[in-house]
Amino acid sequence: MSASVSSRHPLLTSIGVALAGIAAVALLAVLPGGSTLAQQVVSGLMLGGIYVAVAVAFTLTIGVLNFLNFTIPTLFMLTGMVAWGLSRWGLPFGLSPGLHWAPALLGGVAVAILASLIVERFTFRYLKTRHGDATEHAIPLVSSLGFLLIFEHLVLIFLGSEAQSFPVRFRLDLHLGPLVVGLPQLASLLLSLGVVFWLSWLLQSTRTGRALRSIAESPDTATLLGVEVARIVPIVFLLSGLLCGVAGALFVVNYSDVSPFMGEHVGTKAIAGMVLGGLGSIWGAIAGGLLVGLLETLGIHFFGGDAAQVAVWGVLLAVLILRPQGLFGASRIGKGKL
Amino acid sequence: MLLDVADLEVRYGRTHAVRGVSLSVAPGEVVTVLGANGAGKSSLLKALAGAVRPAAGRIWLAGQDITALAAPDRVRQGLVLVPEGRQILVSLSVRENLLMGAYCRRDAEVGRDIDAIYDRFPNLAARRDMPASVLSGGEQQMLAISRALLARPKLMMLDEPSLGLSPLLVSRLFGLIGELNREGLAILLVEQNTRMALRAASRGYVMELGRVVLDGPAEKLANNDALAAAYLGGH
Ligand SMILES: Nc1ncnc2c1ncn2[C@@H]1O[C@H](COP(=O)(O)OP(=O)(O)OP(=O)(O)O)[C@@H](O)[C@H]1O
Ligand SMILES: [Mg+2]
Repeated sequence: MSASVSSRHPLLTSIGVALAGIAAVALLAVLPGGSTLAQQVVSGLMLGGIYVAVAVAFTLTIGVLNFLNFTIPTLFMLTGMVAWGLSRWGLPFGLSPGLHWAPALLGGVAVAILASLIVERFTFRYLKTRHGDATEHAIPLVSSLGFLLIFEHLVLIFLGSEAQSFPVRFRLDLHLGPLVVGLPQLASLLLSLGVVFWLSWLLQSTRTGRALRSIAESPDTATLLGVEVARIVPIVFLLSGLLCGVAGALFVVNYSDVSPFMGEHVGTKAIAGMVLGGLGSIWGAIAGGLLVGLLETLGIHFFGGDAAQVAVWGVLLAVLILRPQGLFGASRIGKGKL
Repeated sequence: MLLDVADLEVRYGRTHAVRGVSLSVAPGEVVTVLGANGAGKSSLLKALAGAVRPAAGRIWLAGQDITALAAPDRVRQGLVLVPEGRQILVSLSVRENLLMGAYCRRDAEVGRDIDAIYDRFPNLAARRDMPASVLSGGEQQMLAISRALLARPKLMMLDEPSLGLSPLLVSRLFGLIGELNREGLAILLVEQNTRMALRAASRGYVMELGRVVLDGPAEKLANNDALAAAYLGGH
């Protein structure tokens, strides 16, 4: 029954999936000729880890605020482009060229968080005055589309429309028997999943998390219990900015390439992962994001780039036809979404 | 007086739901507000809790003007509402609902207070880690009241708590209201169950179309012929 799946603790289920994944990789690695495939699985999971962080950012705003935040892919892009811009201009000052990439990436993450809070200030605060109005949902949606275009064009104006290569490449390989694992890849997967698990713990076990879940179910009841909704809502934006920033920074570390349009690809894949896993549950976003990363990487490996896109979206449509609630979702729209 | 309300008005667009209501509740007192459907009782309580903004009027709690305070600040001042329909958070567990009741508190006694609730309501204790959606209507009402108690209120407002409960549970509910009052809690009780409400309260107000049309000691209201004809007939 789907209800029992969704009520099981996500951490336990995820640990199970992770162990199964490690076992599969190990098995592939010892098979003759399997090690390149194992390599692909590892890359797929790493790419999936980036999708997971972005998918969870979407899930959080949809779950708590019933709001599809269009600026999320842009926040991801901002991190990469701002970090690139900072390091090209030699910022932060005083560090030798080989050293300043880390603070530049942190700067990119900070800009993503800041931009997310600006979006909250100018889209979501309208809810306070327009509550119950027909415009209640339209205003944040339309304003977030507006911010998407503003941020994108600011980047085009100041940083240009070209794809850029990050000046420093991060390469350090770990040899595990026949398997070569990029240390940045491994660290990325662990970091993105770590951030997501931390978030899931925050939602489940802290006072702020309970307040967020109460707002998700009923802002009116939360208010009557003493929750200052207008003060808690920015936390949602701060967290989604952080998730997008981490995802953007990890993307830079692994691929070195940034462009003003890098958000679109990751954004659509993250949404695909979120829907595939089950709309509205963090666990669904984790599983779906990893799955999309795997499908894409393996698709490219076996069939080439264009066919990989067909594979991802084909699987998504097939799953939606067979299981509209997603692979792991219980389809509880409105209540208990997180 | 613990609660003083002067000339309160609530409007929803063109609907004038509360029209110049004044009332008061003394410390430790149970006061009931009666009236037919649509009389404006819930609107009155929502305005007192800060869930709707009154169009006019003043509200004082323990001598302090709270008219301008937002709902969460009124909870912190000790004014809590158990809303109509209980409004349990069904996506949270029973225990988490109780913790949300204590959301405004920072003291170390929350755990002890929750244990006291479990002692009082063994049904809640047995289901503490289950989602609140599994509770029966009566258990949900107990949870709603317990959640409000955890805010350590000075005044608890109850909006039709007996709605949808069996006669046995209604009498247990009024037993609980009496018990809480004997422990010193002041209660403002909106009810359709006029007979029980007037038995529990020391004073009452009767609302009609947003106005208070009758008020006085509970026994007097219980023996009032006009009230009996309007609300008590048939019981
Ligand atoms: N949010 C709202 N918007 C518009 N009109 C409202 C709203 N809430 C209540 N009203 C109207 O205000 C009037 C008073 O409603 P209220 O809910 O306060 O009555 P009540 O005495 O609590 O009734 P009941 O016994 O049925 O609960 C009614 O005419 C109702 O239709
Ligand atoms: Mg009512």
